Amino acid sequence: MRQDMRVYDSILQALPGVDNPTPLVRINRLNPTPAFALYAKLEWMNPFGSVKDRAAARLVFDLVERGVLGGQRGVVEPTSGNTGISMAALAGLLGFRMRAVVPARVPLEKKVLLRIAGAELDVVSDALCPSPGLGEGSIALAKTRARAEAERYAMPNQYENELNARAHYETTGPEIWRQTGGKVTHLFVSLGTCGTATGCARFLKERNPEVRVIAVQPNPGHDVPGLRNVAELEVSKLFEPALLDEILEVDCELAYRRVLDLARREGLLAGPSSGLILEGARRVLERGGGGLGVMIFPDGIFKYVSAMVRHLPELAEGETPP
Amino acid sequence: MNTYVHPEMLVSTQWVHDHLGKPGVKLVEVNVDTQAYDAGHIPGAVGLNWQTQLQDQISRDILAKPDFEQLMGGCGIASRDHVVLYGDNSNWFAAYALWLFKIYGHPAVSLMDGGRQKWLDEPDRPMTTQVEPVQKAVYQAGFPDASLRARIKDVLAAVDAEDHNLVDVRSTEEFTGLVLSPPGLSETAQRAGHIPGARNVPWSKAVNPDGTFKSMDELRRLYFVDEGLQPSRPTIAYCRIGERSSHTWFVLTYLLGLEQVRNYDGSWTEYGSMVGLPIERGLAKAQVG
Repeated sequence: MRQDMRVYDSILQALPGVDNPTPLVRINRLNPTPAFALYAKLEWMNPFGSVKDRAAARLVFDLVERGVLGGQRGVVEPTSGNTGISMAALAGLLGFRMRAVVPARVPLEKKVLLRIAGAELDVVSDALCPSPGLGEGSIALAKTRARAEAERYAMPNQYENELNARAHYETTGPEIWRQTGGKVTHLFVSLGTCGTATGCARFLKERNPEVRVIAVQPNPGHDVPGLRNVAELEVSKLFEPALLDEILEVDCELAYRRVLDLARREGLLAGPSSGLILEGARRVLERGGGGLGVMIFPDGIFKYVSAMVRHLPELAEGETPP
Repeated sequence: MNTYVHPEMLVSTQWVHDHLGKPGVKLVEVNVDTQAYDAGHIPGAVGLNWQTQLQDQISRDILAKPDFEQLMGGCGIASRDHVVLYGDNSNWFAAYALWLFKIYGHPAVSLMDGGRQKWLDEPDRPMTTQVEPVQKAVYQAGFPDASLRARIKDVLAAVDAEDHNLVDVRSTEEFTGLVLSPPGLSETAQRAGHIPGARNVPWSKAVNPDGTFKSMDELRRLYFVDEGLQPSRPTIAYCRIGERSSHTWFVLTYLLGLEQVRNYDGSWTEYGSMVGLPIERGLAKAQVG
């Protein structure tokens, strides 16, 4: 392996860590307050395309080390797509099966990508008539498979497994600290399993208790795949509100608008959750003051073409000859 | 008084675990998600599909008596068996199936309190994908008990007379007319709103976060104090296609012990599509202010 030359013996060596961080890129034209430096951490530069590579690798390697995987046994995991894609790629590399259980609302691109990466796929109906404690169909079905076919499936369970947050405590947090020379003052994250928010917040606040961690959530009834409004967070055991200094709510339509700004004015082909986080960060910067903010941009835009067209139909105009 | 009026209508997950494989106890799983049974179920349980097996496939109707008898016989269920129903979504369709069992006079039938989710949330409860071979039985159903079921004429009479508790158990968004149905469902109506005079008491108010039913005291307070149902009046419960309202029908009939509770299985997909029949939108008059 030649890390400096980026020559690797296996894609596994390209997984991120403090010696191989994902890029931190300064936001220039979309920063409303030049006195406040704003950076985006480009998580789609991970080998399997999203921030979820970190948790997926940590969870899967833990099962490998404990001898849980192998023989006939692979993994089954509830996912809105990215964790499943990372796990499916890892499973293919390491030679075990992977079954992804996804809610119906997950974009077509992600479902197809899961199949391309070799995952078996279950698609379950979205919550019909919500009730506290009803949980999510995808989590229940994955648990069912792990219980009924324990010889075939182990369930890493990103929603409850502390190693999800641990992955960010060990990689994302230290990378940010080192890349900013310890000058980071604000961290902007979104909430899904809450692994990123909890793991990064723990690390950064240990180094400097003054670091402010701001979560940006979509409005209730939103359509931003992979993210949750706080009202939907009951399923995640990793949600630690005490670590969050502020939770901002942004209309999900604005997230889709900001995707265009990021692509057209910063050259960043970022997905809708990144658009949401940018909007939240701008609101904080506009309050005034200085600092150094880091936004975690979870993934790129390519998996959301159909979602983009749904929210911004003009993008598909003229795509066939008149 | 802190026990349900008919406590025998519920069994706990522990009871089911203790009775696995016992002769005379038949487990039946009925889910909204029709792929869940195949993914894993309680050992020995039979799976029924609410779409293809619990409804007549030609007319929109419950199963006819000979069809119910044939279905039960094929599942190896005899009239003397204690049938224990469970399913997802806090027993929506398990309650619907129980209503059907009671229409055909099955003596011993219970719900597993908390349903499939509670079983799954308890770490030591076994599940399997094995479907055990069934020894066919001869099932003798009773004549359908029409008193458990409200038909459109009964509902219209109740609306006119204003002498019923008319309980709409759907979400508030469906009741007020904001949406026709929960997203992604194919069975809808032509109009969004509710039956005139109905009160909105979403089914989920009757359950705890673990999916089990709330206590007798909590249920009494909910329905009789907070929501103003009058115990002396006959009651009709409805939803969209009659499954969520089976859940409330079960609560009112067996846990609270009300007499004359009927499930209107035509529900909103029928009422909201009738030509020339006015509906109401917004919050119920009795529930405003």
